[in-house]
Amino acid sequence: MRRLRRFDPVRWMALVATLFVVAVAAGLVAIFAVHSLPVWRHSGSDYLTGTEWFYRAARFGVLPMLYGTLVVSGIAIALAGPLALGAALFTAEVVPERRRLWIKVPIELLAGVPSVVYGLLGVLLLRDWVYRLLEPFEPLSGDTLLTGGVLLAVMILPTVMTLADDALRGVPAAQRRAARGLGLTTAQTAVSVSLPQALPGIGAALLLGLGRAMGETIAVFLVVGRRDNQWPESVLSPEAWVAAGQTLTSKLGGSETFIAYGDPLHWGAIAGLALALTLLVAASSLVGSRLARRGASGGSDA
Amino acid sequence: MRRAADRLFRVATGACAVAACAVLVGIVGTILWKGLPALDWDLLTAAAGETFGTGGLAYQILGTLLLVATAFAVATPLAVGLALAQASYFVRRSARERVRLLVQTLNGVPSVVLGILGFVVLVRYFAWGKSWLAGGLVLGVMIAPTMTVALAERVEALPRRYLDAARGLGLTRGQTVRSVVLPQTRSGLVSGALLGLARAAGETAPLLFTAAVFSGATIPGGIRESPVLALPYHVFVLAQDTADAAARAHLWAAAFVLLAIVLGLALAALPLRLRSSEEARHG
Repeated sequence: MRRLRRFDPVRWMALVATLFVVAVAAGLVAIFAVHSLPVWRHSGSDYLTGTEWFYRAARFGVLPMLYGTLVVSGIAIALAGPLALGAALFTAEVVPERRRLWIKVPIELLAGVPSVVYGLLGVLLLRDWVYRLLEPFEPLSGDTLLTGGVLLAVMILPTVMTLADDALRGVPAAQRRAARGLGLTTAQTAVSVSLPQALPGIGAALLLGLGRAMGETIAVFLVVGRRDNQWPESVLSPEAWVAAGQTLTSKLGGSETFIAYGDPLHWGAIAGLALALTLLVAASSLVGSRLARRGASGGSDA
Repeated sequence: MRRAADRLFRVATGACAVAACAVLVGIVGTILWKGLPALDWDLLTAAAGETFGTGGLAYQILGTLLLVATAFAVATPLAVGLALAQASYFVRRSARERVRLLVQTLNGVPSVVLGILGFVVLVRYFAWGKSWLAGGLVLGVMIAPTMTVALAERVEALPRRYLDAARGLGLTRGQTVRSVVLPQTRSGLVSGALLGLARAAGETAPLLFTAAVFSGATIPGGIRESPVLALPYHVFVLAQDTADAAARAHLWAAAFVLLAIVLGLALAALPLRLRSSEEARHG
């Protein structure tokens, strides 16, 4: 930056805004890390590997909640990923430029629907559908990890689709024209030219969607059942998927966060959850944007 | 064979796109269908009734508007500062990249975590208690990245000759920003703000511990212990107890009002966004 003698409002504004955001980000990590120290002193690594959470008995294990978060967001990606990719291929490769908006606009609006509205539809509709679907297995209720996952799939669909569409459209049009010139069909062009080149960007779209899913609170809170200590006997058995569970966010959004404040140990356990969630989401979105940048760096970056 | 495969590809991907759009139509349609019958003038202008899930939504709507306005006041200067800090005309590349990473990181923080941070710092440490200002601050920080990205895009798209001309006239950086950059990128600022505000209006998680109560608040008179009612929080609480049919009707109507506010803001941003993407392609 050029050194200026006079007071420079532009530099000042940029600096203040940047420093403020740095303070928020650093403060967030520092506060949750420091506040969670009591629980590390109390439980040590059992905090991460323990499967029981009884705060009155001062037992804090986050594993069931980590499991819940991973299952719910895994289901969401598995359902939303293929659909979003298909839709993105359609808008980027098949539809003529002029008609794209017919699909892009509704999808953008879908991204704007508040999560509590999704949650409400989950409570009043999806929960009953899931219950009826699972009836042969005699479920206790429609509040299951699966319900949360399906709801999240709908919620992250626009994110994944928009980013995948951007990645596909980042492939230079000249290459597409060349492929068509060689006599390839639209499908062949998409699969053998566009898709391989857009792969990093599509991976990024999935990772960013995953981060979204892991951090989403309200909708999951309303349909996931919020039952603590649901640690399955076998991690891969889908039985636990159709039972109530708890995720990191549904725990953090619950009233326990209020109750815990004031008791350093209990609050430490909650702060640790917030820290774990932040790191998980940050990791997936940082890896995602790294991938996206690598995918894009083939193009121009002036 | 090739023809058949091509046709299959078109149909399959098209079906995905149609299914995705159908979800939106389904959601909006359901809320309309269920919410419209319970919607009347009293619902929008009356205060809440004595019992759970009756009466109007006036203070919920006012509370949400207050939170959104506060978030806007917080996020706008942040977004302008962060967008200028990424402007290639003013800032060298390595610093720009760092700011961009910072904005991305902030964007990635789950809203519930931001809410708990607000709870620790504002509600407890500053001892504000639940307060509209705490909620507005958290929402403002939450939407700042959205606004920044929209604005920074427009700043980058600014024709370089405008800036060179400003420099040629001997304008300082401050004058250039005020008289060239900000006026020329206003559509980016407005559309980013509308999108951010749409998000802020609908978010519940940051309000849980910082600002919203379910009943017993009207217009806040100060900062400390001045919670507000908020539409998304209202829907959130009612959704946890949906046994009563009358409360259900009220709930659908509240969801309808919320969705109308949020989609209204997002739709208002749409023409500006479309125009700017057109310009980016052809200009």
